[in-house]
Amino acid sequence: MLFEINNLSKVYAGRKVLDIPELRLEKGKVYGLLGPNGSGKTTLLEILSFLLPPTTGEIVYGSRKVDFSEGFLQGLRREVVMVEQQPILFTTSVYKNVEFGLRIRRVPKERRKRIIYEVLDLVGMREFAEASAHKLSGGETQRVAIARALACSPKVILLDEPTSNVDIENQIAIEGILRDINIQKGIFVIFATHNTIQATKLSDHIVFLFNGRPASSVYENIFSGLISTDDNGKKYCSIHDKLKIAVRTNKTGYVKISVNPIMIKVLPARDARAGDHRLLGRVMQLIDEGDHVRALIDVGIPFSALLSQGEYKHAPVMAGESVALFCPPESIEVV
Amino acid sequence: MDLLVDSLISAILLLKSLDAEVCAIVLVSLKVSSSSTLIASLIGIPAGFAIAFKEFRGKRMTITILNTLLALPTVVIGLFVYAFVSRRGIFGPLDLLYTQKAIIIGQVILIIPIVTTFTIAAISRIDERYRKSAMTLGATTLQTAGVVFREARFSIMAAVIASFGRVIAEVGISMMLGGNAKGFTRTMTTAMALEYDKGEFVLAVALGLILLTISFAVNLFFNYLQGRARA
Repeated sequence: MLFEINNLSKVYAGRKVLDIPELRLEKGKVYGLLGPNGSGKTTLLEILSFLLPPTTGEIVYGSRKVDFSEGFLQGLRREVVMVEQQPILFTTSVYKNVEFGLRIRRVPKERRKRIIYEVLDLVGMREFAEASAHKLSGGETQRVAIARALACSPKVILLDEPTSNVDIENQIAIEGILRDINIQKGIFVIFATHNTIQATKLSDHIVFLFNGRPASSVYENIFSGLISTDDNGKKYCSIHDKLKIAVRTNKTGYVKISVNPIMIKVLPARDARAGDHRLLGRVMQLIDEGDHVRALIDVGIPFSALLSQGEYKHAPVMAGESVALFCPPESIEVV
Repeated sequence: MDLLVDSLISAILLLKSLDAEVCAIVLVSLKVSSSSTLIASLIGIPAGFAIAFKEFRGKRMTITILNTLLALPTVVIGLFVYAFVSRRGIFGPLDLLYTQKAIIIGQVILIIPIVTTFTIAAISRIDERYRKSAMTLGATTLQTAGVVFREARFSIMAAVIASFGRVIAEVGISMMLGGNAKGFTRTMTTAMALEYDKGEFVLAVALGLILLTISFAVNLFFNYLQGRARA
């Protein structure tokens, strides 16, 4: 086990932003940390990279219990490197940025040079070695930041939403790099994302976070809305003017709801009967995820539904097709 | 208008003739101002850095006091230092009064708040991600401070330039603690004040133009350094 977390919490200005009773992260794997914005992903990554002390709780790294005193942490930080969501490069050349971690580790000049070009090759940025780091695009900056972290030969690399601010070309490149560094270099990778597809595609394990707590995988399709009651006493959550979802709750006012994608039924619109739990939409994308097919459906807002392969074969839907979604009451949780 | 034209011509002639007295005045000004700027920078930059970097009780009050000291009149500093270095003062036996050292002491007191507050502002403006990046890459606290310092270097250099401009142009401290002794403590500003008292307006303005030219040259030099560093 590489990380063992027990009763970890982080409180900011009286608000508990992270509350993890227990979490175990195994060596050598790629972990995807999945959750919506504000779920505590960045805070957890900063704690795991020893940049931020938790308010309470215990972390065991390797077999060492982490003492969050500055002297102890410096040694650990030489093994665990974090790349921020919007990394900042030092105002110098790309080469010198990548060299930073090696210089402070007193790596000899010739070896430094070899490592720098090796990692720049790995991220496809060799030809930018002499370029001014501040003149790079967002995607290039992200790749150099990954190279700068890799140059330190870390055991663990933590990446906070590594593809959230980059174009598709860089996204593909970065996803390739993440796979390569885990397979070729045996580096333990933990990356945060709010993209379910990316998490599924790249990671061996997914840790779901919601409101600062580990959650089951059902916390997808999270929407905010206002609870209203109709003349018959039925309750709805109004996501926007034209989209109301029937819910069972005692709560009132603004709430967040989560719709479990596995429990959503998708049928061609022509075969569907009207009902409280029916939503009409159009299939935007279909993704094969092994056991399941993920359908992204536009019902005014994007909805994600997971269909088992059997279910999909029985009632296949096509991209662009009009469909009806059935969200049974048990699929909706007011959180 | 004639006064300005005559002064400009006199300034050019003075510079062209390399008048020994004028050269001595300029050299004293440069020596004293450079020394006080250097000493104040050696104290003010680390102090500003420490205040900006560390969280401690009374931090905001310290910054408020430093900001207040920016408005400290040169005459007050002159009187204050005079009380210490005059014959009856506790540093009287050191014979500092009416020496270049006394001017330097006064000027250092004048510009330490400038260097410190500008450094605090420069460091505080630096993106927090620089510190985090350095730390996660394994830097020690000192190495992290070095990274932040490097990123703030242009703003800190601006603090040094502003301080130099302040001391080379001040007259109160130089007059009160230096005494305007010809060849020893006569600076450009005290010489200007003297020429004005004598009614030699043309020479006073000419010296003022020389002072501005020197300030311009110094700024040009620092600008060149900044340009090289940015390239």
